[in-house]
Amino acid sequence: MEFLRPVSLGEALEMKAARPEAVPIAGGTDVMVELNFDHRRPAALLDLTRVAELAEWSRDDSVVTFGAALPYTRLINELGTDLPGLAIASRTVGSPQIRNRGTVGGNLGAASPAGDTHPVLLASDAVVEVASARGTRSIPASEFYLGVKRNALEPDELITSIRLPKATGPQQFAKVGTRNAMVIAVCSFAISLHPNESRAGAAIGSAAPTPRRVRQAEDFLTEVLDWESPQALPDSAKRRFGELVASAAEPIDDVRGSAAYRKHALAVLARRALGWAWDAYREGERSCA
Amino acid sequence: MTATAEPEVGKARLRKEDARLITGRTRWTDNITLPGMLHLAVLRSPMAHARIVSIDTSAARDMPGVVAVLTATDLDPDGEIGMPCAWPITPDMRHPRRPVLAATEVNFAGEGVAVVAARSAAEAEDALEHIEVEYEDLPVVLDMEAALAEGAPLVHEDLGTNRSALWVFDSGEAGTGGDVEQAISDAEVKLTRRFRQQRLIPAFMEPRSTVVDPTGPQLTVWSSTQIPHILRVMTAMTLGVPEHKLRVVAPDVGGGFGGKIAVLPEEMMAALVARKLGKPVKWTESRSDAMLTAHHGRDQIQDITISATRDGMVTGLKVDLLADMGAYLGLVGPGVPLLGAFMFNAIYKIPAYRFACTNVFTNKTLTDAYRGAGRPEATFAIERMMDELAAELGMDPLELREKNWIRHDEFPFTTVAGLTYDSGNYEAATERAKQLFDYDGLRREQQARRASNDPVQLGIGISTYTEMCGLAPSRVLGSLAYGAGGWESASIRMLPTGKVEVVTGSSAHGQGHETAWSQIVADQLGVPFEDIEVLHGDTQFSPKGMDTYGSRSLAVGGTALVLAARRVLDKAKPVAAHMLECSVDDMEFTGGKFTVQGTDQSVGIQDVALAVFAAHDLPDGYEASLDSDATFDPENFSYPHGTHLCATEVDTETGRVSIRSYVCVDDVGKVVNPLIVEGQIHGGLAQGIAQALYEEAVHDESGTLTTGTFADYYLPSAADMPTFVTDRTETPSTTNPLGVKGVGEAGTIASTPAVVNSVIDAVRHMGVDDIEMPCSPMRVWQAIQGGAR
Ligand SMILES: Cc1cc2nc3c(=O)[nH]c(=O)nc-3n(C[C@H](O)[C@H](O)[C@H](O)COP(=O)(O)OP(=O)(O)OC[C@H]3O[C@@H](n4cnc5c(N)ncnc54)[C@H](O)[C@@H]3O)c2cc1C
Repeated sequence: MEFLRPVSLGEALEMKAARPEAVPIAGGTDVMVELNFDHRRPAALLDLTRVAELAEWSRDDSVVTFGAALPYTRLINELGTDLPGLAIASRTVGSPQIRNRGTVGGNLGAASPAGDTHPVLLASDAVVEVASARGTRSIPASEFYLGVKRNALEPDELITSIRLPKATGPQQFAKVGTRNAMVIAVCSFAISLHPNESRAGAAIGSAAPTPRRVRQAEDFLTEVLDWESPQALPDSAKRRFGELVASAAEPIDDVRGSAAYRKHALAVLARRALGWAWDAYREGERSCA
Repeated sequence: MTATAEPEVGKARLRKEDARLITGRTRWTDNITLPGMLHLAVLRSPMAHARIVSIDTSAARDMPGVVAVLTATDLDPDGEIGMPCAWPITPDMRHPRRPVLAATEVNFAGEGVAVVAARSAAEAEDALEHIEVEYEDLPVVLDMEAALAEGAPLVHEDLGTNRSALWVFDSGEAGTGGDVEQAISDAEVKLTRRFRQQRLIPAFMEPRSTVVDPTGPQLTVWSSTQIPHILRVMTAMTLGVPEHKLRVVAPDVGGGFGGKIAVLPEEMMAALVARKLGKPVKWTESRSDAMLTAHHGRDQIQDITISATRDGMVTGLKVDLLADMGAYLGLVGPGVPLLGAFMFNAIYKIPAYRFACTNVFTNKTLTDAYRGAGRPEATFAIERMMDELAAELGMDPLELREKNWIRHDEFPFTTVAGLTYDSGNYEAATERAKQLFDYDGLRREQQARRASNDPVQLGIGISTYTEMCGLAPSRVLGSLAYGAGGWESASIRMLPTGKVEVVTGSSAHGQGHETAWSQIVADQLGVPFEDIEVLHGDTQFSPKGMDTYGSRSLAVGGTALVLAARRVLDKAKPVAAHMLECSVDDMEFTGGKFTVQGTDQSVGIQDVALAVFAAHDLPDGYEASLDSDATFDPENFSYPHGTHLCATEVDTETGRVSIRSYVCVDDVGKVVNPLIVEGQIHGGLAQGIAQALYEEAVHDESGTLTTGTFADYYLPSAADMPTFVTDRTETPSTTNPLGVKGVGEAGTIASTPAVVNSVIDAVRHMGVDDIEMPCSPMRVWQAIQGGAR
């Protein structure tokens, strides 16, 4: 196995163009597991840890852009205030060791339906920036996941950064797992309130072949939420929202949980996360007023 | 030289072995490297049951670095070697031969079929995939009841059955109590329940490793084992290596939990390969292989019937077990359920009792001892039943227990299972636990949450346990057909400079013997703690031992140490008298000094040691040595006990369980080192809680282990554990001079039922009266759905 170690993004893209079969490795927390269990045996690994551009971030008034190879620990510490939903999800990934190495770019590259950052990226209108020697593309998160562990990358492309709006309202992420740490989600849910657009984004993970947005449930919120003079949400509305979220799921029975349980738990997570987010929004409005 | 002032026993000393164990700068087996050493890798069967049609090793032989590729035909051409089972529980027990490497048939996924010896571990591993094995599928049987059904596929065709043995204890027949069938048919109330003890993986921190050196005068085996002494005897008997030509060393060992009470095919394989090639070899397994092939634990189905009067006096208990042995019998596997047989009646005065256990073969990894071995299963069943009975009778579960337990003034008490509990005080431990827990306050909160229909309900779980440990009186072991005794040995060597070498036959693998044993000897001989070195685990300097398991080391091995120390003093006394020019009868010994009674003339034990070494001026005819050995065989077990109370919050919508508080008050008798006791309790609790909430080894229908990594096998982390509130009562054991009881397994035994009782208590009003372990969010939710129906 060859180990390619580019030191700049340009060099990385050239190497990827020359060796499209080379497997990028960032934190390695997915790749090394696959190699260890002999699930794949790539002819070459393309190490991204020396490419400084990929671990940088920048922000302006409304948008945060961070490199694909920025480890979770840094993302939580340095960008947690601007991206609260992503920070909550990142804190649930693995263990401190995994968060020191693992990256959002790797989560996207692996495109596991259970990846914890996906629902947040979907709910928050993230855009995945990709590049190849041929040029660059911006892929909205909602178009990035194509199937179980399949994404929209071309063989010669690398994910360079993730771009998403700074939070303008409360965001929540919730996941069900058997233990409190080091656990792959049985199902997960994210919601981001976008008060400036009078709408909310919501998405589910580990409950369908790909992470997915729950548009019907989002539309329902557009109908029932009064952003100008926010009222307490009736239980019936939260429950309805939960049902709509669950109805968007197409879960399977597997070792981690049954389809029935996943649907049920998603409805509960969605109802509660909406409650927390909306209460936080009302709280914020009250203290602003 | 000064003697120690305050007693060492009872001091919360930091463990002297920890620095080297924690940093890993020590002699783990895998750290051993010998000149010319080859590395072994084992090819394992991916099939749970198949005939081996052919094995082609030719391509693997040509791989770089490969020295040999060997199969059963090379290592054991006549198919004579079989792995030992030391516990034939019945005369007619079926015990299929377990080969070192499978020759004609594989019986569980993970069984070894070939071994590569190469110059590096990586080369050995790489060569494995060039071995071609052709298998022919055989039908797989995984479920115990299916295995016992008429016409079931057979794990071992030649046995004609999947039943290994049936073992029965009946109090009516034994004369220790009444007839249980009668008690049940006469009962005002009776309850029957089925519990499943899921399969667990011991998951010790250090995967197993063995190094064998055939180049010296003896065949030397280093192994990451709990039982170097037993391994030596068993290796001699299994391979026919004369015992005196065999040296076994357990260097530092990174945990075992029972998982290293085994004689491994890999250990035998390494010895055979080393002898065949004339070179030292090393085998170190991967974590994945450890999960798959190190023996598993528990895996029983328990059918329990309890009978009682309306006012809550238990009148009878009947236990029918199925115990999954896996594909073969482990070293003590068949006897594991028997260690529970005497414990189902627990702390209660039950007049009639019957226990029957059927050991069953399936196409899975073998099961054998795992922390608590038999006793957690028994304690779980009876403590769950007591809660169910309390619910049935509408009584407080603590009150029901109190009504039935042995009162402190009734000891010694001979139970319906025939054991005599020497001591205990269940009232005191329970009272203390209730206070620390705020039992009444939590019951009130529980009522309030039920009344307000809180989605998060509160449950209170109780477990009042005892266990038999300090294994074991040799005669009792003999009566149970166990293949060895239960004594332990100790030697104390007084060095010329007054330092002390202590050799123990127990074999620490993380328990802290070096510290605790030093504390005991420091008090006995009055020498400073720092002047004592504890040696263990090498048959060259410690030829006698029964090793470490069953919470035995302190109660049995610690006692041997006391006896040896007393002998040292007996030998030192005449020398001291001679040095002080007085009569032996005028000597008294305190604080490390022999003093002439009523004077300030004295001589220290360490000075006596020097005088004996020099031997210039000793009493006439005196044999110039203070060194002493002792062997202790206990007359009875030790019976730690305690009361564990667990409050859980159960999210009835998601099924998530979180432990809100956990209080345990244990009575482990006299405490040598409170820090070590605390550590043992904490670790035990974590493991017991993990069985209740997290861990389960699962096989798919083809017999493949689907929980073979820590991503799927849910060992708990610190984030899953509550802050434990621990306390102790101290009722000294009367079965050993130190007054100590075992503590290594107590936490594991007690905690599992406390947690499950708590979870069920939280949702009992929703119609739930059982949840299968582990109580994962999904299982809890499903139980609530089922209850609501
Ligand atoms: C013990 C453990 C616990 C875990 N727990 C969780 C968890 O709780 N939640 C969760 O979501 N995940 C979990 N994971 C999975 C993993 O940590 C995450 O998916 C992580 O985000 C992967 O990031 P990485 O940088 O390590 O990726 P890598 O392993 O380096 O790469 C992952 C994939 O992405 C590709 N890739 C990486 N970077 C790029 C790039 N810039 N462009 C194109 N392709 C790229 C790689 O080729 C590979 O296919 C866990 C893993 C382990 C080992």
